[in-house]
Amino acid sequence: MDPAWRVLIYSSVAAATAAFGALPLASGRTQPLRLFGWANALASGLMLGVAYSLMAVSLDRGLAQTGLGALAGIACITLARAVAGTAGVIRLGAIHAVPEGIAIGVAMAAGLPFGALMTTALAVHNIPEATVAIATMTRRGTSLTLATLLAVAANVNQVVFALAAFLLVSAVPVLLPWTLGFAFGALLYLVMVELLPDSYRDAGRTSIALVTIVAMGIVVLLHDGGR
Amino acid sequence: MNPTLLVFLYALTTALATGLGALPFLFVKTMSPRAIAYANALAAGLMMGASFGLVSEGTGAGAAQTVTGGLLGVLGILAVRRWLRGRPVEFGGVRGAGARPMVLLIIVMTAHSFSEGVAVGVSFGGGAALALAITIAIAVHNIPEGLAISAVMRSRGQSVLACAGWSICSSLPQPLMAVPAFLLVEAVRPVLPFGLGFAAGAMAFMVLDELLPDAYEQGPKPLVAILVSVAIIGMAVFQHAL
Repeated sequence: MDPAWRVLIYSSVAAATAAFGALPLASGRTQPLRLFGWANALASGLMLGVAYSLMAVSLDRGLAQTGLGALAGIACITLARAVAGTAGVIRLGAIHAVPEGIAIGVAMAAGLPFGALMTTALAVHNIPEATVAIATMTRRGTSLTLATLLAVAANVNQVVFALAAFLLVSAVPVLLPWTLGFAFGALLYLVMVELLPDSYRDAGRTSIALVTIVAMGIVVLLHDGGR
Repeated sequence: MNPTLLVFLYALTTALATGLGALPFLFVKTMSPRAIAYANALAAGLMMGASFGLVSEGTGAGAAQTVTGGLLGVLGILAVRRWLRGRPVEFGGVRGAGARPMVLLIIVMTAHSFSEGVAVGVSFGGGAALALAITIAIAVHNIPEGLAISAVMRSRGQSVLACAGWSICSSLPQPLMAVPAFLLVEAVRPVLPFGLGFAAGAMAFMVLDELLPDAYEQGPKPLVAILVSVAIIGMAVFQHAL
């Protein structure tokens, strides 16, 4: 298979898994707030695990490039959040999807097994992330079906940026540590500025810490165990 | 000089270097609630970055052992905290809830340098010619760890001298553990990934359960998040370079 097609298919599947986020809400009953805290913590832990793996791979390929790329990642997310303002679950979701897509694309360019693992981790991450987004929308009166479609649609960026990042890095391999570093910094900052603070708001800190660490540990085990 | 004594002296130097982490706080007289949030965020980032480094070093020797060690580290902190809960805790004139994070932090950082000491001893066993280079690397690497301890203690009203003293104390297991590890390299090597994982799990749990939520409560979220992220990146790059 042509590698670019593979990236397109993998990232599309990862984007579409967001639809599973509707399952915990399908019963129509109001779920306890804690559930959303844990969903955010699960999303945080998986994303931290992905950020750690990107960092580990990137540091071996270029120290300064990783560090500077990561700082650029933080700067870009800060800028995007400032431009988007506070309005809109969808707009925030679309911002998240950009570094996730870049992570998938550059990880695929770094090697297929690594890329497949990062895509899987981010695909699973998309599920609890979507649960929180869909619940926010239905609380404001959107129907469950429409909210689910919107949550998946917000992930279109993920496919576009995965493909763009993959093609760019494949054409200019020198960029690999810069872009791996960029994705590492951007995902790390998203966890710190949105996912974790939201988790602590909705559930007790010890349960949040446990869910986050276990999710992160699973990604670390799958990544470092396969080296 | 006797090689065992040499390992001890080198590792002792690295412990003393941890105290240098308190120096920046000589210039900080009083701390506003916002400054306390930033101190917590800085400590959280430095410790999280250090635990990333420990995980990466540990998984190089065995991923399953490191992750198992990490879970044991989390359970260890939960057990210590449960034990502390029923007891009147006092630390440096601070009682109860304010004292608990300081006591826990010192326990966590001491456990962490315990594992690091073993790692130092094992790496010395790899070749004495590298000893000086490794010592300098570990000593420099300990300074931000002292900074993390001092950030937490100074923001809870402790003197700079106490910050430096406890930073050094938390690193004393390094020379004490380096010697037996150096002498028993072959016996110790298989245990090392468990130890590194234990330290990483304990530190990451301390960050997620205490320092980070405290920082979010006390300061503006975006700034706290930037400080944590930059500290993680800085620590990861810095430790990888050494």
